[in-house]
Amino acid sequence: MDDWKPSPLIKPFGARKKRSWYLTWKYKLTNQRALRRFCQTGAVLFLLVTVIVNIKLILDTRRAISEANEDPEPEKDYDEALGRLESPRRRGSGPRRVLDVEVYSSRSKVYVAVDGTTVLEDEAREQGRGIHVIVLNQATGHVMAKRVFDTYSPHEDEAMVLFLNMVAPGRVLICTVKDEGSFHLKDTAKALLRSLGSQAGPALGWRDTWAFVGRKGGPVLGEKHSKSPALSSWGDPVLLKTDVPLSSAEEAECHWADTELNRRRHRFCSKVEGYGSVCSCKDPTPIEFSPDPLPDNKVFNVPVAVIAGNRPNYLYRMLRSLLSAQGVSPQMITVFIDGYYEEPMDVVALFGLRGIQHTPISIKNARVSQHYKASLTATFNLFPEAKFAVVLEEDLDIAVDFFSFLSQSIHLLEEDDSLYCISAWNDQGYEHTAEDPALLYRVETMPGLGWVLRKSLYKEELEPKWPTPEKLWDWDMWMRMPEQRRGRECIIPDISRSYHFGIVGLNMNGYFHEAYFKKHKFNTVPGVQLRNVDSLKKEAYEVEVHRLLSEAEVLDHSKNPCEDSFLPDTEGHTYVAFIRMEKDDDFTTWTQLAKCLHIWDLDVRGNHRGLWRLFRKRNHFLVVGVPASPYSMKKPPSITPIFLEPPPKEEGAPGAAEQT
Amino acid sequence: MSRINKNVILALLTLTSSAFLLFQLYYYKHYLSAKNGAGLSKSKGSRIGFDGTQWRTVKKFIMLTSSQNVPVFLIDPLILELINKNFEQVKNASHGSASECKFFCVPRDFTAFALQYHLWKNEEGWFRIAENMGFQCLKIESKDPRLDGIDSLSGTEIPLHYICTLASHAVHLVVFHERSGNYLWHGHLRLKGHIDRKFVPFRKLQFGRYPGAFDRPELQQITIDGLEVLIPKDPMHFLEEIPHSRFIECRYKEARAFFQQYLDDNTVEAMAFRKSAKELLQLAAKTLKKLGVRFWLSSGTCLGWYRQCGIIPYSKDVDLGIFIQDYKSDIISAFQDAGLPLKHKFGKVEDSLELSFQGKDDVKLDIFFFYEETDHMWNGGTQAKTGKKFKYLFPKFTLCWTEFVDMKVRVPCETIEYIEANYGVLEERSSHSWSVYEFVLEPKLCNCLIQPDPA
Repeated sequence: MDDWKPSPLIKPFGARKKRSWYLTWKYKLTNQRALRRFCQTGAVLFLLVTVIVNIKLILDTRRAISEANEDPEPEKDYDEALGRLESPRRRGSGPRRVLDVEVYSSRSKVYVAVDGTTVLEDEAREQGRGIHVIVLNQATGHVMAKRVFDTYSPHEDEAMVLFLNMVAPGRVLICTVKDEGSFHLKDTAKALLRSLGSQAGPALGWRDTWAFVGRKGGPVLGEKHSKSPALSSWGDPVLLKTDVPLSSAEEAECHWADTELNRRRHRFCSKVEGYGSVCSCKDPTPIEFSPDPLPDNKVFNVPVAVIAGNRPNYLYRMLRSLLSAQGVSPQMITVFIDGYYEEPMDVVALFGLRGIQHTPISIKNARVSQHYKASLTATFNLFPEAKFAVVLEEDLDIAVDFFSFLSQSIHLLEEDDSLYCISAWNDQGYEHTAEDPALLYRVETMPGLGWVLRKSLYKEELEPKWPTPEKLWDWDMWMRMPEQRRGRECIIPDISRSYHFGIVGLNMNGYFHEAYFKKHKFNTVPGVQLRNVDSLKKEAYEVEVHRLLSEAEVLDHSKNPCEDSFLPDTEGHTYVAFIRMEKDDDFTTWTQLAKCLHIWDLDVRGNHRGLWRLFRKRNHFLVVGVPASPYSMKKPPSITPIFLEPPPKEEGAPGAAEQT
Repeated sequence: MSRINKNVILALLTLTSSAFLLFQLYYYKHYLSAKNGAGLSKSKGSRIGFDGTQWRTVKKFIMLTSSQNVPVFLIDPLILELINKNFEQVKNASHGSASECKFFCVPRDFTAFALQYHLWKNEEGWFRIAENMGFQCLKIESKDPRLDGIDSLSGTEIPLHYICTLASHAVHLVVFHERSGNYLWHGHLRLKGHIDRKFVPFRKLQFGRYPGAFDRPELQQITIDGLEVLIPKDPMHFLEEIPHSRFIECRYKEARAFFQQYLDDNTVEAMAFRKSAKELLQLAAKTLKKLGVRFWLSSGTCLGWYRQCGIIPYSKDVDLGIFIQDYKSDIISAFQDAGLPLKHKFGKVEDSLELSFQGKDDVKLDIFFFYEETDHMWNGGTQAKTGKKFKYLFPKFTLCWTEFVDMKVRVPCETIEYIEANYGVLEERSSHSWSVYEFVLEPKLCNCLIQPDPA
């Protein structure tokens, strides 16, 4: 340290230090141009570096963004399809919230326009007869429901009453008559129309025209009516133009607790109408059901395909019963909707299920058939591990023990090659002919209406040769054909585990339903233990049938089998009757017997090798076709088989109507 | 005076700009380290313990999924690799013995989990609960490819990926869907218009760049770093699958268009052929899988997949390709044991090998072995009648999974180039050109005759 010497450039410490520093600097800065230059260049360099770093930063960020953007090209496929019925535009944008509604009623045409947008137009011939009803959201003017009730025909007015009662108060109701809407408009319906404030509705007469706009539970907003002058002519066309003031959205909505379920409910209820208590503000009916799980559920992982068309109310009823059945697994359910209908999709979404829409191919029965094919293929694609699929339709009620029934019997499909399906439906299981919930049968016919399909059967046999769209075949008729069935049989319960409630449909009408479906027996007892399921296997069943026939008491064949007294007034007995059946396909006597027993007689159902099993007066009743049936040998020699003459062919039977 | 001012201003400017520059440098470094965190923060790795954000995020995620019964399993390649290396140790480790955080604290951007969709019971409420726990989640949905094969179905979209971030770490949940052919499929992570592209560095995700196909893994429960997780029982096998998992879908739309033009052959014979060809392919796939030999659909079978998503009924055989380096000497005996006797053998292992096996119902199985050169691949073909040998050249290709007649099989990813090399140029857009190949399934012969077969 001693050697240290101050630099000669620096002045020694002293009083002048400060000043000299400053001066030196000043001197240097002012006089040394070179240094000044240097400083300037330095600054410029700094700035340049800053700029470069900046640019690099920007470029880097850009690249990072573009990397992230690279693969996700815009996707055209996913472009949202055009939304549903656009909200009718408001007149003006100001505070005047009024809808301008036009309603037209006449013999051959009806239409309804809301703010110039046609929401209903029907001038097709031979259809759309009756009262058309439209429900609008009072806050938005959206169409929430559109129905037609053919009140010229019986019972349609009941459906209308049911529907109108389910509409929430405050909604805007529009009614208009096409052709004829009064013939079967009964007092209950008229009273309801009166309660809505209608003047002309309750007095609606034969072939009158009528247009009505009103608020449910509120004032009538417009009504027009024209009486028919004579029986053979119609009332004059009427055109009703009226203004409907909109209310605020607040009033139109309920305030349910904010849960996931209620969010679904809210979406549903602000869109559609006519589902009653599910949308009620106070105490709405639940949309989640927690049925008891099934112990040892063998069908928990079996996919369920619900085949649906555009009958959203049916679908709603069906899904409620399905989701309430014990042992249901909602994530296995897929609803296949034939066509791009919104409302069935809304129903599916309400219950939080998977819904798939299907672009219609072909027409009528062939369309149904193509829809079935696509649905079944899709089901096995979506659940590639599944060995079976449950096939349901939208117009079925599902018994509470539906899955329990399947869980107890599904192993039969795996173990017995001679089986074609398991069905929940007994064609001959009417209120007066079915008795035992624990009993199963083997039948040669394929009943459908809630059944289990084996994947191997579908993939290997049915799918490759499924009728093509140009063949206008019914899928179920096709499946029943011997080429497909190949002698295999289906397992059915004595008491059906499904109930067919559909009245409107492709092959269905009110009369037909009342005659063949209404009185069908439907199991409502939960947890039924099926009896002796393994006796349903091919060989075991023969043993069982022989045992039954051996212990059966032979009925008095001299009596008329159509008479009630044909069977004694006992309980729990087994009786057998022998009818004439010359060949395997001779069902003359059986058809007559079925007719007088008021069971299914449109074609032959429920037979097993010329044997029918049903219940009469709480007794098991066996019918054997002699001599075609192999069980004919059980006939005592003294007995002459019953022969019933078919009536002379005059009345055309309803034809080959069937059940889908 | 003015000079002094100038200088002062200059000095001030310099000062500000350097301060600014320093700030930018600092920021840039920060940005860089965020970008390749693994690289720069490696040194810090040892310091990150159980309170590291990654571990905590994963822990929270596992808590969330187990409370909601979401059956997730770990598929993160980085962590699985580590687990695989220390497999014995991991298996023996008891519950609470984790003293240091060895797996979940490894620096990385994402932790990847997977989920089998069909086992997931309550999808709906999950999202909200995750968000309540502080996760920010992104859900990527798409239409269901399993419905593409069927005319005119459109369904509810299915979830493909979830990405949930919490405290600067992200969990990537890959949703696996079951497909026909007993495998699991995951979708392509496509960002649609409204998605925030800076949500996470999507580029660095391990899954989702392409759709992928995996064997259905068996799972096992292990405890690592104090967390109970499910992992594939054979992590090694799963790790090996990842780089080759790319999946391509059959072109169902084009296939439908094709059938609209040339109605499907539904005669009894055609259906019978399709059935036996399918069975033969299944048998061949099973046999080769047992041997561990990779194969892909070649020639006519490949064309059938590409053009009509099915078996061409008049092709009369099933064609497979195998790389010669995958050749195993016991292939022939394995096929024989499977009930497929050798019909012809052309060439040698060193040169243009081709094996032909006799299946049931007169359906033949042809296996072509492919040789790799620097810029192309080739295989040899022999005309059975004349014994003439030909060399077919192919541009280099990689292999992808696809689904074909309810099976998971490989095809060349560059399918069109491959088929064109085989059959000549297909004018894709105009479907008329198909007619040329409608009834002729002869591969184009190149003029590169090798040598007549001595046999």
